[in-house]
Amino acid sequence: MDWTNKKSVIRMDGNKFRTYLRSTPRNYSVIIMLTALQSQRQCSVCRQANDEFQILANSWRYSQQFSNKLFFAMVDYDEGADVFTTLKINSAPVFMHFPAKGKPKKGDTMEINRLGFAAEQIARWIAERTDVNIRVFRPPNYSGTLALALLFSLIGALLYLKRNSLEFLYNKTSWGVAALMIIFAMTSGQMWNHIRGPPFLHKNPHNGQVHYIHGGSQGQFIVETYIVIFLNAAVVIGMILLNEANSMKGDASKKKAVALGGLACVAFFFSVLLSVFKAKYHGYPYR
Amino acid sequence: MADTSRTDIRSALSNPGGWKSLIIFFVLTLAWLVGFSSRLFAVIRFESIIHEFDPWFNYRSTHHMVENGFYNFLNWFDDRAWYPLGRIVGGTVYPGLMVTSGAIHWVLHALNIPIHIRDICVFLAPIFSGLTALSTYFLTKELWSSGAGLFAACFIAIVPGYISRSVAGSYDNEGIAIFALMFTYYLWIKSVKTGTIFWSSLTALSYFYMVSAWGGYVFIINLIPLHVFVLLLMGRYSHRIYVAYTSFYILGLVLSMQIPFVGFQPIRTSEHMASAGVFALLQAYAILQYVQSKLTKSEFRHFFFFAVMAVAGLVFLAVVALTWAGYVAPWSGRFYALYDTGYAKIHIPIIASVSEHQPTTWVSFFFDLHILVCVFPAGVWFVIKDINDERVFIVLYAITAVYFAGVMVRLMLTLTPCVCVLAAIAFSKTLEIYLKDDGHKHSPQESEDKEKNDKYYDKVSIISLSKSMNGRGGARSKSKKSKSSPGPMQVSPLLVDSGDGDRLKEVGKTKKTKEDKQKEPEGVGINIKSIVIVALLMMLMLFAVHCTWVTSNAYSSPSIVLASYGHDGSRNILDDYREAYYWLRQNTHEKARIMSWWDYGYQIAGMANRTTLVDNNTWNNSHIAMVGKAMSSNESAAYDIMRQLDVDYVLIIFGGVIGYSGDDINKFLWMVRIAEGEHPKDIRESDYFTPQGEFRVDAAGSPTLLNCLMYKLSYYRFGELHLDLRSPPGFDRTRNAEIGNKNIKLNHLEEAFTTEHWLVRIYKVKDLENREPTGEAKKRGPPKLSRKGNKKRKGSIKHKPKIIKGKKPSSSKLKKSTKPNK
Repeated sequence: MDWTNKKSVIRMDGNKFRTYLRSTPRNYSVIIMLTALQSQRQCSVCRQANDEFQILANSWRYSQQFSNKLFFAMVDYDEGADVFTTLKINSAPVFMHFPAKGKPKKGDTMEINRLGFAAEQIARWIAERTDVNIRVFRPPNYSGTLALALLFSLIGALLYLKRNSLEFLYNKTSWGVAALMIIFAMTSGQMWNHIRGPPFLHKNPHNGQVHYIHGGSQGQFIVETYIVIFLNAAVVIGMILLNEANSMKGDASKKKAVALGGLACVAFFFSVLLSVFKAKYHGYPYR
Repeated sequence: MADTSRTDIRSALSNPGGWKSLIIFFVLTLAWLVGFSSRLFAVIRFESIIHEFDPWFNYRSTHHMVENGFYNFLNWFDDRAWYPLGRIVGGTVYPGLMVTSGAIHWVLHALNIPIHIRDICVFLAPIFSGLTALSTYFLTKELWSSGAGLFAACFIAIVPGYISRSVAGSYDNEGIAIFALMFTYYLWIKSVKTGTIFWSSLTALSYFYMVSAWGGYVFIINLIPLHVFVLLLMGRYSHRIYVAYTSFYILGLVLSMQIPFVGFQPIRTSEHMASAGVFALLQAYAILQYVQSKLTKSEFRHFFFFAVMAVAGLVFLAVVALTWAGYVAPWSGRFYALYDTGYAKIHIPIIASVSEHQPTTWVSFFFDLHILVCVFPAGVWFVIKDINDERVFIVLYAITAVYFAGVMVRLMLTLTPCVCVLAAIAFSKTLEIYLKDDGHKHSPQESEDKEKNDKYYDKVSIISLSKSMNGRGGARSKSKKSKSSPGPMQVSPLLVDSGDGDRLKEVGKTKKTKEDKQKEPEGVGINIKSIVIVALLMMLMLFAVHCTWVTSNAYSSPSIVLASYGHDGSRNILDDYREAYYWLRQNTHEKARIMSWWDYGYQIAGMANRTTLVDNNTWNNSHIAMVGKAMSSNESAAYDIMRQLDVDYVLIIFGGVIGYSGDDINKFLWMVRIAEGEHPKDIRESDYFTPQGEFRVDAAGSPTLLNCLMYKLSYYRFGELHLDLRSPPGFDRTRNAEIGNKNIKLNHLEEAFTTEHWLVRIYKVKDLENREPTGEAKKRGPPKLSRKGNKKRKGSIKHKPKIIKGKKPSSSKLKKSTKPNK
């Protein structure tokens, strides 16, 4: 059992599974992930779960308290289908704990429906089952930093190339648009989306109806927030048109058209927004 | 304001300026009145009572201060809270609120007006809302025009986002802090504009008041340096800014350190480092500019830019290094949660558990701001298009505040004033164009003010109508006639016969169209102009109606007195909380220690005057976790903990009888989570779920849940209760389930008191038993039931209440309390 020195996660097939997990006595616990990683299985969740599992196994492998008390293993369906049948498992991924003594009990299968499969959650679950506390160490994600550096260097390069004409920095329109973008993003609840991670939209599994608007005032879908951004922006554009109408060059009819267009924009899109709000906020009067 | 207007009028009755200031004066007065009266729903419906949770603590400490004096208050050690630790109240509160109401109380008593301190506390926030409207007016006037200022004052007077924290009875820091915030910003803009030490000293003083009132002062001390920094980046540095910022910073720093709770934080914590860094940067910039004036070289420009950048980087690195070395404390959890939005959820369950720390959905934005939320970006646009030093400030304010409001529901409060200002600018600018009389050359300001006046009365009439205060509404419409008719006469003499019709709205419209008729169709044209105006007015009316509805329905419940409405519209007051607290006050020993979840700590201390273990000042997480552990363990384990903590009584909130959703069972998972955070060996969240991962209280629920203390105390004797013919006995209305454990026996506790609607249940913790129990159990009387409920027997309520008024069922706008888990 010195594989872990080479690899943090032991790949198992049916034979190895029986040898190391079915034989008693053992002096080690095993956390096993039953999964299906082959591409023809089309299990995208398995891939993410696998990544998290690898992170956790590596954290254990390189931690101070690393010992032979705990091993991480995985069985791929295509390599050990018999394992799945003996354990009566017909879904993937599944995380199971094989304790050193006795058989796996009810709690030894992790409820990924409720807990999710983030490495931290798995670590907590392991701590519950085995008293081994693993501090998850995620390999620092350089992609964000890299993207930021790239962005900055791009901006820097742009500034350097255009150093003779820095007028665009003084362009109020672009700054205004940028400010409005931030405001729209926030007032439409993008931060809520970021923190809560709602579904993109809801499709009723029974009749195939697609809901774009969440039914209650406590939640929202991502599509819904885009709709709200659009409505808010339309109202604002209407307001701006209303104001531009008077100062525009051109004859009176054009001014009239712009003013009426702006007003229609404001009135119509605000009404739409109001009706969406009413649909979500039950008990709101003034229908 | 009032005085200047009056003198203006006296001296210049005959010129338009006099009328203008008269109109401004009246609009502001009415804004104050409307703001005040629309915050009185709770007082009219219920009574003059302190609301919610935190206000009870504020009231208690104010009362203590008025009784014992200010210095005793500062030294107050409260042994009634956080038993057995106690709490040093004087050093852990922002005293501004208490000092303000104490000062008002003192002045009134010096004038021999014998008013009780409670009434001052109840009405403090509505009164300050008027002051907020005034300072918003002045701020907007400095930023744009006085017409926009009037709009802004009217908006802030009735906007729900601000009313939510300032209804009568919600005696909390925010009530006065928003005034201090807006006033500080006004003075800051003023000092940037003038560049005098006078104004910036006033800014520092106002900032001092803000620091003494609310922890949100950190927003000011970061926003003002940001303003200065951006001005530097934009190359808008001037001596005015130098004078304004340096004197504000030094004075403000020294003053803010006088507050005991703040102490040395301004020089020791990261939240304040931005202001120090900008201070240093400003000095460097000034020196460089001085050097530049001596050198006068065109090449210097580049050097200058890079030197400033280098200094900025240096300052930043210095702060980072100081933080690293431990001289400066890093971001505290609550602030850090604002930047790394996933932080609190993982690391600080006590912060994540508070309902007002949740992120904000777009519905909340719309609910709190209505049309303003769609229009204020237009205001930002106009301001950016026509930028100057002080307008940079409002743009920065908008962008930062909107970000914070998106992260946390409660920070909607800081966003609201700036939304009002910017939306007012948008509306004012639009109406200025469409109301301008092209034919006659008088100032657009004039007609615009008048317009505002009219619209404002529309609002008044709607508010008063919807409040069915016809008497007052009528009085106002009368005053309206008397004012608005001379207005047009002055502006355009052709309008002598200004249509003083009976309907207020009609008045406004007819006047406008008549006015518009006078000019030749050169611009957009009269018809379109009037259509635009009418449409905008309709929208503003919708806004006023919405505000009144929201105020009346969502924000005006004291939450310690609940109201339910029957099918026929009859109102039923559920006064269980006060019944229970009064019982505690009368029937328990003076030193009795009550264990409850932390939400109710302040109320128990304030109303029952008994010692609590934990309260809403959640400073000690492990103590709260102990209580959570006791609640979520089985009875004998809980008994050990309660013995350790010297608990005499346990108080729980149970809503199953009346269908009240904010009760302890719904909050229970947070107790488990917080307990698990400190005692992961003993408490596991997963034990409280069914194997399917559901949290349910019926027979399918997990056995750990069905036997934990909280479950037992909530449902003790509930299995015998037959609420309804259609449902089985022991049917929980809140969770719509028949409870799973109907045969609850308590060994170590006994029921002491249960209120009329079972909302509050109090249990006595028994003493240790004698070692040799004699055959005959100790005879105790049957548990006392509520006095009020003795006509009907145990809880058989006819006409079951359906709607619980105190709990807004579907909004995230719960006040600071553990959010119910659903």
